Amino acid sequence: MTYSIIARCPRTGRFGVGSTTFSMACGRRNESVRPNVGVSKSQAFYLRYVDPLALNMLAQGYTPQHIVRMLAADDPDFDYRQFGIIDRENNVVAHTGPGCNGWAGHTVGPYYAAYGNGLAGPQTVAGIISGFLKQPDAPLEDRLMLALEGGRDAGGQMSKGIPRPERSAWIRVVDRLDFPEVDVRVDLHDKTVAELHRILEEFKRYRDYYAARDANPQAAMPEEEFVAGLNARAA
Amino acid sequence: MTFSIIARCPRNGQFGIGIASYSIAIGRYCDGAVRANTGVTLTLGNPLPRNNYLAIKLLAQGRTAGQALNELIANDADNAFRQIALVDRENTAVAHTGANLRKWAGHRVGNGYVIFGDTLAGQSVLDAMAAGFEKAPDAGLDEQLLAALEAGRNAGGIVGGKGRLPERSAAMVLWGNRTYNEVDLRVDLHERAIEELRRIYVDYKPSIAYYEQRARSPRNAIPAMEFADMLKKQQAKETT
Repeated sequence: MTYSIIARCPRTGRFGVGSTTFSMACGRRNESVRPNVGVSKSQAFYLRYVDPLALNMLAQGYTPQHIVRMLAADDPDFDYRQFGIIDRENNVVAHTGPGCNGWAGHTVGPYYAAYGNGLAGPQTVAGIISGFLKQPDAPLEDRLMLALEGGRDAGGQMSKGIPRPERSAWIRVVDRLDFPEVDVRVDLHDKTVAELHRILEEFKRYRDYYAARDANPQAAMPEEEFVAGLNARAA
Repeated sequence: MTFSIIARCPRNGQFGIGIASYSIAIGRYCDGAVRANTGVTLTLGNPLPRNNYLAIKLLAQGRTAGQALNELIANDADNAFRQIALVDRENTAVAHTGANLRKWAGHRVGNGYVIFGDTLAGQSVLDAMAAGFEKAPDAGLDEQLLAALEAGRNAGGIVGGKGRLPERSAAMVLWGNRTYNEVDLRVDLHERAIEELRRIYVDYKPSIAYYEQRARSPRNAIPAMEFADMLKKQQAKETT
């Protein structure tokens, strides 16, 4: 059981993924987003090598549609996989095999895909999308956060009629550089989506400081002084 | 503000990272820092994240760890503010600690590993980490990395202008022979980040094999909820 959104920012071209699940440490799947290439995020009974393979194929020039056919032809258990792929031309595909657990499905939009399995129902995917579309001018990381909250608030995950908690969550956004612009994670927590939001908001307060410290260390102030300034402004 | 260890397991060739920092979400600086059968690297102090990608590409081309380190230093006008460490697949470990880092800063190079940090209580932190890492060489690289972080914390950890600073984030990364990590755990913001990392790893470790097996044989897989319940029962039995 997992629900995710993958997206390409229509304004900036940045790629991003937001994901949350009952399993721990979903953000370890950092191989699923590649700058200037695309996103391939698989889940349900996922094989880890699929995302790097799909991204390698995107980088070689294959279309997402062709990659799906290639993956299907090479996998006797394709019916158990769920994934979405976006390339740098905004082509989006998603696949939900009939063998995925519980209610499983996906919705593909012009520059995004939302999908999940072991969910309360189609309302979870609808909630992800309405969250994502709520603030179309917001930065991609904020839209991904709204999407995860929309999925959670619409019922999130369920198995055998019982709601199941999200225990890990993750948002990653890449721009043109190798290094991700945003990569925040919660690996094990009771209220993981809320915790991810807290960490994302904290990270946004620090990101310019960290970027300046790294790029221009001669002028950097000690971090504890920066934090004291933050706290003073907040008080 | 950070103490870290990068290491190669001499028994199975795994590469790993253990890292803890006063900075939040320090684990994002591990991005691109490891490649299977190639090496592990980090640039800290004032981090320069793009160094990870360049360093790994240099090692993949066949440059030695020492040559790669020289290239990274030559390529960076602010190298006096960086700490750079690499371990390659030949088990060669090298490091650079710039003169302008916040004191105390330094590194310690061991057999197939580098321990390094800045704004620390002193050399004693690195020495404790080395002792922690080498205490149980057969425990597995994961346990060794965690032991090193815990020892560094217990030896005084990070000390800023006004005294001890907490570790607010931590991470552990482990790569085997695949195109993706075997373990990649993070604590991005927590009052006791190393303790939290240990807590998560204890819960996480038994599920690694389950998730691999489930993907390879989905028709026979037991549901994740049932597996989690089984684990819980088993852990309860073990603690009583």
